[in-house]
Amino acid sequence: MSTRRRVVVTGLGAVTSIGSSVSEFWKNLLAGVCGIRPLSLFDASTYRTQTAAEATEIPDGFLSPAEKRRMSRADRMGLAAAAEALSQAGLEASREDPTRVGVILGGGTSGLIDSELVYEAWLQGRRGRPSRVLNHLPDAITDRVAQRFGLEGLKSTITTACSSAANAMGYAYDAIVGGLADVMVTGGSDVLARLTYGGFNSLRSVDPDPCRPFDRERRGLSIGEAAGILVFEEEDRARRRGAPILGEFLGYGVTSDAFHMTAPDPSGSAGARTIRAALEAARRNLSDVDYVNAHGTATPQNDSAETAAIKMALGSRAREIPVSSIKSMIGHCLCASGAIEAIATVMTVREGCVPPTIHYEHPDPACDLDYVPNDSRDVPVSLALSNSFAFGGNSSVVVIARYG
Amino acid sequence: MALVTGAGAVCALGRTSQEFYRRLRAGETTIRPFTTEERRGLQATHVARYDSFTPQPEIPAMKARRFDRGSQFAILACSQAIAEAGYDVARAPESVGIALGTGSAGAGALTEFLKVLFTESPEAAPPFQFPNTVANAPASQVSIELKLFGPNVTITQKDPSGLNALLFSSLAISSGRACAMLAGAVDEWNPVYAMGFDRVGALKGEKRPTGIVQGEGGFAVLLEEEKTARARGVRPLARLAGIGTAGVPTEPYRFAPDPAAIRRAILGALQAARTDPSGIHLCFPSANGVVEMDRAEENVLSEIFGGAVPPRILVKAAIGEMAAAGGGQIVAACRALADPDGPFRQSAQPRRVLIDSFGAGGNFFAAVFESVT
Repeated sequence: MSTRRRVVVTGLGAVTSIGSSVSEFWKNLLAGVCGIRPLSLFDASTYRTQTAAEATEIPDGFLSPAEKRRMSRADRMGLAAAAEALSQAGLEASREDPTRVGVILGGGTSGLIDSELVYEAWLQGRRGRPSRVLNHLPDAITDRVAQRFGLEGLKSTITTACSSAANAMGYAYDAIVGGLADVMVTGGSDVLARLTYGGFNSLRSVDPDPCRPFDRERRGLSIGEAAGILVFEEEDRARRRGAPILGEFLGYGVTSDAFHMTAPDPSGSAGARTIRAALEAARRNLSDVDYVNAHGTATPQNDSAETAAIKMALGSRAREIPVSSIKSMIGHCLCASGAIEAIATVMTVREGCVPPTIHYEHPDPACDLDYVPNDSRDVPVSLALSNSFAFGGNSSVVVIARYG
Repeated sequence: MALVTGAGAVCALGRTSQEFYRRLRAGETTIRPFTTEERRGLQATHVARYDSFTPQPEIPAMKARRFDRGSQFAILACSQAIAEAGYDVARAPESVGIALGTGSAGAGALTEFLKVLFTESPEAAPPFQFPNTVANAPASQVSIELKLFGPNVTITQKDPSGLNALLFSSLAISSGRACAMLAGAVDEWNPVYAMGFDRVGALKGEKRPTGIVQGEGGFAVLLEEEKTARARGVRPLARLAGIGTAGVPTEPYRFAPDPAAIRRAILGALQAARTDPSGIHLCFPSANGVVEMDRAEENVLSEIFGGAVPPRILVKAAIGEMAAAGGGQIVAACRALADPDGPFRQSAQPRRVLIDSFGAGGNFFAAVFESVT
């Protein structure tokens, strides 16, 4: 077996509906706090549902008022999470070779919540504020993070809907392993918008109440928003500078279902293929898996298909390990979900405690694994998977291990 | 590095990669004045739309209705690349993937969906439009149509998105995730997006002498692991020899005409390709009409090549600027390398071409392709 550069996680940052720092987010995850509440970012009274998981506070005090005006909500959330992650990693561009530090994020809605209003104004014959369209494209946050922290390496934004951030982490991992960078700031930031809220409602995929992943009575997802940023670093470099090593990113699997634009393959074979690809890339066996952080959207189709995929890929091991969905607490944060769930997974392997799936009451014969119902559980976890399955059949599974 | 064994192009300059390259070489351009209807309220005066596009005969009319314009472009371009390569996807679908760059995919569906949401009600918004509002729709529709089970990503990072997708593809192959990747880019012109770009001062027009002219189209190459391509006995168009990239910390919508970053991207590509400036025989500059960027690129090219810059082919002067234009540069570069009469500055082998692709937000990419003997 050839040796390759190892990639460790040296910083984490989070802004979510249940916490504006990783420590607060993690504490509330373990306590089973639900961040799904009445939607306040825009008037939802004419939509079919009215709840969402909004970020309650964005710790962006380091930005000037002018900067805040120029930036979108997604920018500010992403920058706040990046500041926390880089601070924990102890990285400052002035002390680094900035050309070896890159940024790859997952993005989708970006500044859409603002640019939607400009379009509405145009439809009404008004001019609107043109500056509100400046942050429309999802790559704006990636550029903002590089700008703010003086990073001059590879930049990219992956936009594969709900697997965007997971794929971004995979690309960042490949960049370090391939020698294109030594440090990558990765993850994603995605916020609520009328398009996504209206879109999932038009598909009748949103539960009017807080979502219930894997429960027999589940009626769909709850839409959320979050920023999750991870600092990936080449292992030797991190050790040399005495950086905090929070976990190891062992690799990822990225595949295409090639099945349907919105429906998952119900047999689970597509998801199973992704899990197997991830373990192969990580050079680990299915018997090594101790925990699965599920995609677990709470749509009837996803949860049964994902259960089938886990069973198909892991065989009898599937029934021996905990599988939980933190979307029951923070909603489906769309293009950022893979990042925020990877952060929860890093914390799981680090702390040896698995977050629960809350709102779980009624077992479903089609979802017959151990979903860690309602209460967190102390379990030593050496290696965990985090699943992300998206519109278009864009599937990604990341493999995270305890370091050492 | 990997081999390019097939190419596809669907844009106003050609409906195949061969036609696209032939007309590009002939110096044709598809940039035209806006019609009165198109121009409503814009200061921009020109555009490069694919006016006569129809997805028929390749995609039957009833089926084509399911796909947005960007997906139609992508399906045709990718199918062409697979066909030219003679690649049998069904033999190992898990080993074939796709990475497309885009700046506007999903724009048509997004604006239509929001229009109904705002002018009627959220409940009236058409559910069939929503799945196509995601930028990954074209790559995903291609994977569904061609039954690709390998990696599937879409990348948005300003104008160099196509080269960014090429880098992802090259890493997917070198890491063993895939044996072959469809790499390219796709964009659709959209009047609402045009209005947005115009209002923020990005488009060239009667009030602004500097800026881009928007285009649209889809481009793809099939990038294959060299060993498996050789084993198939396929005749490659070109080899991807190296990619270089550089970033400049700046506002996402600002151009940063930074000579150091341009130099770093180009020299990075040359170094990865294990060549020096004397080994480059043809250039595809980024030149897109943003005067300060074009001037900075010209200066750096003169400096790197000691005043003797190889012959240049200006793709964006022919098809306009967009994230997909980098895909057009890649396709044109590969066709040129397969053309014994290509406009190279000397006959030395292997011939090499340099592609520059620079965008707003401080995003710089360069790539080197070489001929395969």
